[in-house]
Amino acid sequence: MKDIIYYFERDLLRWLRGRLSVFSALVMPAAWLIFVGLALPTTFTTNYIDFITPGILVLTMLGASLQGGSLLIFDKILGFLNKFLALPAPRESILFGKICFITTRGLIQATVILVLAFILGASLLPPAELALTYGILALFGLLLSAFSTTVALHLSDHDSYAGFNAIVSMPLFFTSSALMPYDVMPSWLRPFAYANPVSYAIDSIRALQEGLILWSRIGALLLLAVVVIAISVHRFRKVTL
Amino acid sequence: MDTAIETTDLTRLYGTLCAVDKLSLSIGNEIFGLLGPNGSGKTTTVLMLTTLLRPSSGSARVCGHDVVSEAREVREHISYVPQEMAVDIKLTGRENVALFGKLYGIDRRDEKIDEVLEIMELCDRADDLVRTYSGGMRRRLELAQALVHEPSVLFLDEPTIGLDVAARRKIWEHIRALKGRGMTIFVTTHYMDEADFSCDRVAILDHGRLVAVDSPAVLKSRVGLDIITARITGQWDGTLPEGIQFLGEEEDDLVFSAAEGSVKVPGLVRCFEDQGASVRSISVRTPTLDDIFLSLVQTRDDAGGFDDHRFRTMLRRR
Repeated sequence: MKDIIYYFERDLLRWLRGRLSVFSALVMPAAWLIFVGLALPTTFTTNYIDFITPGILVLTMLGASLQGGSLLIFDKILGFLNKFLALPAPRESILFGKICFITTRGLIQATVILVLAFILGASLLPPAELALTYGILALFGLLLSAFSTTVALHLSDHDSYAGFNAIVSMPLFFTSSALMPYDVMPSWLRPFAYANPVSYAIDSIRALQEGLILWSRIGALLLLAVVVIAISVHRFRKVTL
Repeated sequence: MDTAIETTDLTRLYGTLCAVDKLSLSIGNEIFGLLGPNGSGKTTTVLMLTTLLRPSSGSARVCGHDVVSEAREVREHISYVPQEMAVDIKLTGRENVALFGKLYGIDRRDEKIDEVLEIMELCDRADDLVRTYSGGMRRRLELAQALVHEPSVLFLDEPTIGLDVAARRKIWEHIRALKGRGMTIFVTTHYMDEADFSCDRVAILDHGRLVAVDSPAVLKSRVGLDIITARITGQWDGTLPEGIQFLGEEEDDLVFSAAEGSVKVPGLVRCFEDQGASVRSISVRTPTLDDIFLSLVQTRDDAGGFDDHRFRTMLRRR
């Protein structure tokens, strides 16, 4: 258990000491919110900022998680991973250290968005709903970062990881319910959007704005996270070069 | 002599490429050097012994534990420093060592960290960011990380690669000192002179196969012949006094081998002069590990067509 904290600490320290990386992590989501949230012409809602904020929150977690996989790629290329794998500490601690760090960094970015959205006129969620929002985002972050870190474990260079990132993030992004509600999207897109795990998170957070808890969507997300993390742990335990 | 590392027919295949071929070694408390040209299977061997790569067949035991079935026990007794020089430049030297101290779960952590930093002569720079360290210091920092849990066996993959002469010498001084503290050191290197000077025994690998294993002194004496290099002007028809063999020409020099070379020199000079050639210079040297290495290892260039796919597979999986 402690090993996870040590690996987490290492990544956190390295991130915090790179000023530019911290700056960009905080500014990028804000830019998303402003350009996507305020600049797109919309007709289906009067309060677009309330509508788009959950989408931007989840997309930020998606981006942070997929980008986070490159941490492991670099550890691998630079020789750190070999050193860690030769340690007696359980190998899945490497995985959990990474996904904790990636998710934490994503939640920090999400906080920037929440604050900014409030400043831009979004309605403030009551404490319980806000806590649940964070819970859903964390769950989504764990799922995606476990996935990206495990994919990174099996790729050998940064270019192929960038390729993977592009292939996965684009479709997940555009076929989700982030940018428009189900009733305005083209009918062929609807089933894809509904089945997309990104939408599970977005829909659950949107429902919270109306005080509803979509247990089925949250449950699906939880189930998916458990399965993906179980597979990831198995892969990390078994990994050979 | 306790056996620290024992391999029996250790083999690793990458598809059709045999990276390590039935390697059997028995290594006690010593500095053991694994030598070989690029792609001869050195790193593959280290990866198998450090439990990072599964052998295709054969077995290996490190500190009495099997590298496959008792991988965790093996990892508790070893440290591995890969050739990439992986230290976090955004952390301080102390933080880098502390990470490993924590992950190994050692007792009296702070004391131990100070101790290994002291051994590696990094105390006065311990709280500086590693970004400001020289290559030699970074390598010493890696050794400090590797020492923090007092391993029985230390695996070093090309520990002096890319370092300047002074830094290399210092690394080897430290390696010898560690052996003095009872540690077994398994090291791969390209530098024959370093292996000659510091290793108790060396093994030479070629295409994954063990071609020689012994102390550098024994390997050199096995050839038993001195190398005579002569530069002459005029014609020489190829006749030679008894006991001298012509090896070939190296640029303008004629190279010969002979037992007790310095005794044979006057005869050789006389032989040249009898034919009207004059000797401009002549020198005798004992063979180095380089000569042994080159005589035992086939050069890669004449090994037939270059199989690009195989080469990539090997590099990637290495």
